[in-house]
Amino acid sequence: MAAHEAGMTHKSEFRAGRQLGLNHVKLGMWLFIASEVMFFGGLIATFLKYKLALPTNEAAHLDVTLVGANTFLLLTSSFTLVLALAGLRDGKRGAFLRNLLFTVLLGALFLAGQGYEFSLLYAEGVTLSSSLFGSTFFTLTGFHGLHVLIGVVWALVLIVRGTRGAYSADNDLGIEIFGLYWHFVDIVWIVLFTLIYLI
Amino acid sequence: MTSETAAAERPNWRRYFAWNTDHKVIGIQYLVTTFFFFLVGGLIAMLIRFELIQPGVDLVDGTVFNRFLTNHGSTMIFLWVIPVLAGFGNYVLPLQLGAKDMAFPRLNALSYWLLLTGGLIMLGSFFVGASESGWTAYAPLSIEGPDGQSLWAVSIFILGFSSIFGAINFLVTTVTMRAEGVTLWRLPLFVWGMIATSISVVVATPVLTTALVMVALDRMAGTMFFSAAAGASPVHYQSLFWFYSHPAVYIMVLPAMGIISEVLPVFSRKPIFGYKTIAISSMAISVLGMTVWAHHMFTSGMDPRLRLPFMITSMIIAVPTGVKIFSWLATVWDGKLHLKTPMLFSLGFISMFLIGGIGGIFLAAIPIDIHVHDTYFVVGHLHMVLFGGSVFGIFAGLYYWFPKITGRMYQEWLGKVHFWLTLVGTILTYIPMHLAGLAGMPRRIVDYADEFTDLNVLASIGGFILGIAVLPFIYNVIVSWARGPAAGNNPWRALTLEWQTSSPPPEHNFEHEPRMDHGPYDFGHDLVTGTPAAAPASGD
Amino acid sequence: MQASTEGRKHTNRSTYALVFLVLVIVTAAEVGLTTLGLPQGSLTVLFLALSLVKAALVAGFYMHLRDDPPVYTYIFVLPAIMLAAFVFMASLY
Repeated sequence: MAAHEAGMTHKSEFRAGRQLGLNHVKLGMWLFIASEVMFFGGLIATFLKYKLALPTNEAAHLDVTLVGANTFLLLTSSFTLVLALAGLRDGKRGAFLRNLLFTVLLGALFLAGQGYEFSLLYAEGVTLSSSLFGSTFFTLTGFHGLHVLIGVVWALVLIVRGTRGAYSADNDLGIEIFGLYWHFVDIVWIVLFTLIYLI
Repeated sequence: MTSETAAAERPNWRRYFAWNTDHKVIGIQYLVTTFFFFLVGGLIAMLIRFELIQPGVDLVDGTVFNRFLTNHGSTMIFLWVIPVLAGFGNYVLPLQLGAKDMAFPRLNALSYWLLLTGGLIMLGSFFVGASESGWTAYAPLSIEGPDGQSLWAVSIFILGFSSIFGAINFLVTTVTMRAEGVTLWRLPLFVWGMIATSISVVVATPVLTTALVMVALDRMAGTMFFSAAAGASPVHYQSLFWFYSHPAVYIMVLPAMGIISEVLPVFSRKPIFGYKTIAISSMAISVLGMTVWAHHMFTSGMDPRLRLPFMITSMIIAVPTGVKIFSWLATVWDGKLHLKTPMLFSLGFISMFLIGGIGGIFLAAIPIDIHVHDTYFVVGHLHMVLFGGSVFGIFAGLYYWFPKITGRMYQEWLGKVHFWLTLVGTILTYIPMHLAGLAGMPRRIVDYADEFTDLNVLASIGGFILGIAVLPFIYNVIVSWARGPAAGNNPWRALTLEWQTSSPPPEHNFEHEPRMDHGPYDFGHDLVTGTPAAAPASGD
Repeated sequence: MQASTEGRKHTNRSTYALVFLVLVIVTAAEVGLTTLGLPQGSLTVLFLALSLVKAALVAGFYMHLRDDPPVYTYIFVLPAIMLAAFVFMASLY
């Protein structure tokens, strides 16, 4: 990066973006989210297609209440994350780090809950390879879980950097970008919970 | 800085083999790497044409032949046309915008190394039993194929990330890093082509990723996504696959059209005709391109009620394409044509792509498609648009920007030899294929009925001519890059921003921060502020 | 490093809390409704509509789409619409 700086400051590089009120990292993140919408969409299309074409009683093994509770954990983690960002912006470092940690813990608990649910299903004979339902269900929720895992690891890195003072009210972009990712993963789960467990 | 100084300070060649975040280095890495893959795909094509020059199973058996055709297509599409255009974007886009680099230089470097990794994995698949299911990898054939198919899926999975990250970079760079005065309607048409392409890449590529993930899981994890026994629909694979792969063809042509739009005015000594309509048409093609995919599936057993809407959208997309062709013709009309190699390839693009495009309109008609689907009519069509179109555009770009990238001028007579051999070869190879398809010759077969022999002989001779045609290009590039004459800032007396800096540009692209107080094609006239005008013309 | 954007509106904590409450209550209600044995058809429409509402709340408030330049919303929503069309068609073939 340093070698590029000659002749132009960092600020002037993104002058066009700033004139439009757009931050380049945020714009990039939203475009990445758009691609993720399409990725989950392909998996959702497949799940729904077979759910409609081949109704199966394997879906009766799904425990809506258990997963509803799990959903509550993920929804709460989004709440704690916006509180973390708000805390950072108000200069309240303690609140920032604490809420970020809660987000990590809630995300990890969600994963544990998913793992538990998967183990119950496997015990009842519903597996990746037991049927089309199993294939589509585990792939769709599995990729979502993978995204949660990536988010948890990312947040841990942010906490470590945050404790070393990397973020502040004037320097919150990294947290906001993570927030976009994490809330998006939450939105995906809102949609998945509805399509898989509710309808 | 003059070009002489830039050439004297030419960076160490080793930097091209290492991680480097400079978009110009990455651009060259892309261009050279993808050209290597082009040669691999081309070699396979020569083997295919050698087999097909006469009926009978001569050179290889059916299985190996299927591996040839699969990997010819896969290499050409995923490792040559799609990424070489990203390579042009990498090198040229920041320069045309007056930026010093891309928005995310490290992501840019990652995109290149993902390309190389994916490409090597695909080549690696040749050694473990290459995929045999066609580049389209339809299930269930691709589920049952040899181990190389899994590597193929992994390779494309990785390449998808390379592509998507690149597209995000192009879009964000264009929005946020334009120099002062570069407004939306002052973007050069090559940039418009890259934007239109990048939108399709971001939206469509992830769906291919899902298709490949499912194929890989069916192969390796016992899932049943495409298992008819489990009640699955192999047609669903096709929906997911073509949702990406149709936009992919526009991804492969829009930047090439952008190159044509840059080259034609320069070598006609006239402004581009219909700047705004060409820009809007590019965006329209990108968006419409995402609504036509099922025209690849007319004979798949898809719901017949859905066929007609896709026929309609597929025909509509001819309109913006036609608008562009007319605009290009109006550009060269009454121009003072300088028939240098970039211009020859651009004119060749127009004529070849036109033939291919019209063939596409025939294919869009369901009754015709039902008869010619999976015949050589399709093979002829796709090569006319991808080779006669995209590859001609790519060569136009390679010759056009060669002096800018290397600081040296190539040998023009060799370029002309390359062009004429290519044009003759293209016509000779692909027109007979259309005729063979209409006469009923199926595609993807190692042997064929005797009645198709003559057409195949013509196609094979044409194919060998295409193979030979590349040789003068390779020689020209190597010799000229090593010791060609210094090109100067602007040997073509072109009027876009990239020609206002040295050849090659300095590390930060421009000595003084550029600005655009006029249109994108007005640099070098006396009205320009800022950087000095182009080298004086010696009679125009 | 930099701040995200300067001078834009801030959503305050009470709004976040209210959104959270709505999300939780709606989800709990949905889970409850599934146990009541109501006709599946109308429940499906209701649940789909509610999921869109919940997604919009998270996107609008937690992801700041309401406060930010509209281009981000278009980048998010337009592919989603295209996707909905694809999902619809994929279930038809």
